[in-house]
Amino acid sequence: MKYAMVIDQQKCVGCGGCILACKAENNTPPDINWCDKITRTSGTFPDVRFEYISTMCNHCDNAPCVTVCPTRAMYKSPRGLTLHDPDKCIGCKACMVSCPYGVISFNWQTPHREWQKESQLVAAGTFTPREMLLRAGGEGNPHANPERGVSYPVLRARGTVEKCTFCDHRLAKGLEPACVEACPPRARIVGDLDDPESEVSRLIRRYDGTPLRPELGTRARVFYIRSYSPERRT
Amino acid sequence: MQLRNFFTPTWAVIAAGLLFGAYFAIGELSVGGMLATNNGMIWTLPLVTYIFLALMSTGVSIVLCHGTLTQRDEIMRQQRSLLVLAASLLIGGFVALGTELGSPLHLFWLVFSPNLTSPIWYMGTLYSIELVLLLVKLVRDLQGHHGRIDQSLTWATLGVAVAAALMLGAVFGTVTGRADFHGLHASILTLTAALASGAAVIVLTQPSGGLPQIYIRALRGFSALMAILLTLRWGYEVHSSVVDLQGWVTVWMIAPLAVVALFGGRLPRTAAALVAAVSLWVVLAFVITGQMVTLGPMATWYGAVQAYRPNLAEVGILVLGIAVAAALFQLGRQAWLSSSPQAGR
Repeated sequence: MKYAMVIDQQKCVGCGGCILACKAENNTPPDINWCDKITRTSGTFPDVRFEYISTMCNHCDNAPCVTVCPTRAMYKSPRGLTLHDPDKCIGCKACMVSCPYGVISFNWQTPHREWQKESQLVAAGTFTPREMLLRAGGEGNPHANPERGVSYPVLRARGTVEKCTFCDHRLAKGLEPACVEACPPRARIVGDLDDPESEVSRLIRRYDGTPLRPELGTRARVFYIRSYSPERRT
Repeated sequence: MQLRNFFTPTWAVIAAGLLFGAYFAIGELSVGGMLATNNGMIWTLPLVTYIFLALMSTGVSIVLCHGTLTQRDEIMRQQRSLLVLAASLLIGGFVALGTELGSPLHLFWLVFSPNLTSPIWYMGTLYSIELVLLLVKLVRDLQGHHGRIDQSLTWATLGVAVAAALMLGAVFGTVTGRADFHGLHASILTLTAALASGAAVIVLTQPSGGLPQIYIRALRGFSALMAILLTLRWGYEVHSSVVDLQGWVTVWMIAPLAVVALFGGRLPRTAAALVAAVSLWVVLAFVITGQMVTLGPMATWYGAVQAYRPNLAEVGILVLGIAVAAALFQLGRQAWLSSSPQAGR
């Protein structure tokens, strides 16, 4: 079994729900998005076109980040996911430079450090962030999702990279990744690329799905089908 | 070695550099976030400091090994000095790299957890072997052991030095999806920069008095080589239609090298300082330009093309790397070169 994702560009409305769901599920700091977007504006007025491309780690078969990682902190799982072991990461950032998709982020400072502050928003009127964290009991921040910790640290360390894992902890339980589940128009489909009858395989065949930057030979596993067109919207 | 030898203007400058750099290095290692980096501009001046010093060390090693193997008397006389210089530069580079990585221990973890497909692993391991070989040669020289094994050690040091410089280029040359990095030219550039900057630092650290002609010839020759390489690259960039290629070569890099190649014999130390500065500029421009076009969603965060200017903390780490190298070299010179019967040998 090899996981892959299809993103239907005609269904995607650019709401950013996937980004928010990912943040909540994976406890990413404010300045890091595992699930993110590429926006492009092209053409000249009045023929202007705006594109919104939802993106995340492409879990490439021929992943440059895995090839260059000197300590094998980036690795391929048996089911084709590109995963990261923060205990082995030395913070060399070679994976970030080598990733042609710009979807790996670095913790330049301690993540969620804003929740360690002792200053109150309103003096003698509100909790300090640190007090709120202690009361709520979250790991690093009050909203931290403990289920993330099954396969990856809930609170990542300063000096290491992080990126999308396709919600491997959810896939292991038979659930869809958070971004897929949260997508209002069901523009994202995850499934088994090795199974020719799976929905992702059928959609890729039917709409000639292509990954981002296929010319680089990374064999990315996130495929995009169709593009937005008001006439074709049903 | 007497205490009063440390109360000199040279040591005052080195101490100031160490303190200035250590302030920022400690801040970066303990708190972090001091560098002018982001998720789009990833490798900046601290890493360039390592590359610059490591390449300089490589150049010194290559000149030394070549001189020893071809029995050049002027070079063999200075074997100990050049060994100390090469090792000092490499250690200075490792200090800068350790700061950039967030912990000096990460350097060891890099070497001892091998990924045989990673150019960075090969580069780090080769430079570690290079340092060990230099130190073994230095210890043997200090103990007065000279024998048949020295030639093998010299060949090994030469081979590792050349391979390490080429592999350092391969770290960038094997990157896919960044137009300014990708290609074999990266390895040729790093090897050429190693030769030019290595010859420059040898000239700069020569004791006042007679400067062997062989070093001036090497400086001029390697400067000419680098000027030719940069001219070829400049020509390629001018005519290129590669999407996203920013180009990093300017005429102001080529001109000083050409001047040194033609007239470097008249003011060799000034010429050497010029070549060292241009080498640093070339490596910095190469590394930064390759990252200026932000990829994927990072363009939404930082803009399609980024500008870069090093901040004070990054300059501090550059100063720290150079100061550590200078301190070790000066220490070695005072301990093993000035008072020993083999002074200057």
